[in-house]
Amino acid sequence: MSETTVRKPYKRQMSRTTWFMTHARFKSYMLHEVSSIFVALYMALLIAGLFALANGPDAWAGWLAFVKSVPVLILSLIAFGFFVIHTTSWFKAVPQAMRIQQGEHFVPGKLIIGGHYVALGAFSLFVLILAGVA
Amino acid sequence: MARSAKAVPWFLFAAGGTITAFVLPVLLLVTNIGPALGLFQGAMNYETMSGFMSWWVVKLAILGIVVLGLWHAAHRLRICAHDFGIRADSAVAVVLYGLATIGTLATVVALLSI
Repeated sequence: MSETTVRKPYKRQMSRTTWFMTHARFKSYMLHEVSSIFVALYMALLIAGLFALANGPDAWAGWLAFVKSVPVLILSLIAFGFFVIHTTSWFKAVPQAMRIQQGEHFVPGKLIIGGHYVALGAFSLFVLILAGVA
Repeated sequence: MARSAKAVPWFLFAAGGTITAFVLPVLLLVTNIGPALGLFQGAMNYETMSGFMSWWVVKLAILGIVVLGLWHAAHRLRICAHDFGIRADSAVAVVLYGLATIGTLATVVALLSI
């Protein structure tokens, strides 16, 4: 047999840079992935704050003035939105990553997620009271 | 079974993702959004904050939050780079994990000098 077949596989055209705009599920995936940009920026800001605290009252006042400035406030509000997206999407995925068996059955995912929200609420309230009383 | 080094960044990503999910929203309210709106002035003044940060338990907690947050973000940004069409994964990994390493060292240095 001298006849050769040439494979012509179907390749779906997909943009490398905007593929996630084609489907709602991809969009929500990208939304929580992009939250990492704001996590990284906030960690850098906190590290700068630690150095400012180590350098004395003037450096700390300077850092605090920077944090309170309008551009940083606007970025902080956007970051808060992304942190909430990160938290909700992370909690949503917990039952898939952590299956807890109890006797014959698995603990229902809703219970695990609910427990996480209770802990989040309690911790947040504790920090807010601590910061408010100080 | 083949051993993979993937477990290390994955563990840091997962641990960081969990801790940031619980801590970051409220922490951002206390350090950034509240002060800009005139709240938490007592907590954020120099004396209170340096007193609070002089506790070893607090230093360890901040170290855990910042370092795990950094490694979580580094790993996720590496995936983001791929998702945005950047295929030079080894270079991206070196840069991002390098920055996370520098951030980790900087956090340790800053906490030790408070």
